[in-house]
Amino acid sequence: MESEAGGSAPSGAVASSLRERTIAENSMVILLQGLQGQETTVDLRNECAARGRVVSVDAFMNIRLEDVLYRDRRGQSTRLQDLFVTGRNVRYVHIPDHVDIMKTMQNQLAQIHRVRNFAGGKKEFSKKN
Amino acid sequence: MADEVEQPPTTNTVEEPLDLIRLSLDERIYVKMRNDRELRGRLHAYDQHLNMILGDVEETVTTVEIDEETYEELYKSTKRNIPMLFVRGDGVVLVAPPLRVG
Repeated sequence: MESEAGGSAPSGAVASSLRERTIAENSMVILLQGLQGQETTVDLRNECAARGRVVSVDAFMNIRLEDVLYRDRRGQSTRLQDLFVTGRNVRYVHIPDHVDIMKTMQNQLAQIHRVRNFAGGKKEFSKKN
Repeated sequence: MADEVEQPPTTNTVEEPLDLIRLSLDERIYVKMRNDRELRGRLHAYDQHLNMILGDVEETVTTVEIDEETYEELYKSTKRNIPMLFVRGDGVVLVAPPLRVG
């Protein structure tokens, strides 16, 4: 579902559908998308927590994690290579201390705008002043 | 709202309920959540879904235990502190300035 963003941007790749890009651009999910590659803890609605590296986050807050330590509500830990969490089941996402929130969001937005401009006038609507 | 680069400058008047939350940006707030949870933290950002970014958060989880013999309700709360937290909006029940005791 992800397309490669051009260049060596530290943040994550951008979704390939216009609908997802628009949803992401207009909500705080954009920050989570910028966390791709970072190790974070996701607290789930079922009182469990998953700590791992963020592979991808889509506009619906579905999160793919790798190299995960999954702690269930009883405190038991399991190691998982890959974990997919449905957006609805996310309660919290812990933001790592070193992340600059403003920069991360601006970076992700810039990537979306880059894709929009690249796609050109025919396919997508671009803001005209 | 989070300061996104491309958006027009925000107005100062309160027009809709979300504007009331805008007034609390960068202030400490109290958030009541589903499943008997409460958060107290500094509001850094929010969106229309009430997804929020809170800094210096204290989460309080309240549980009720019933004593088997006396049947009285024992309220227990567990607290934990998290430096920076993204909260998914569908868990949020209400947002308010921090409660003052007494």
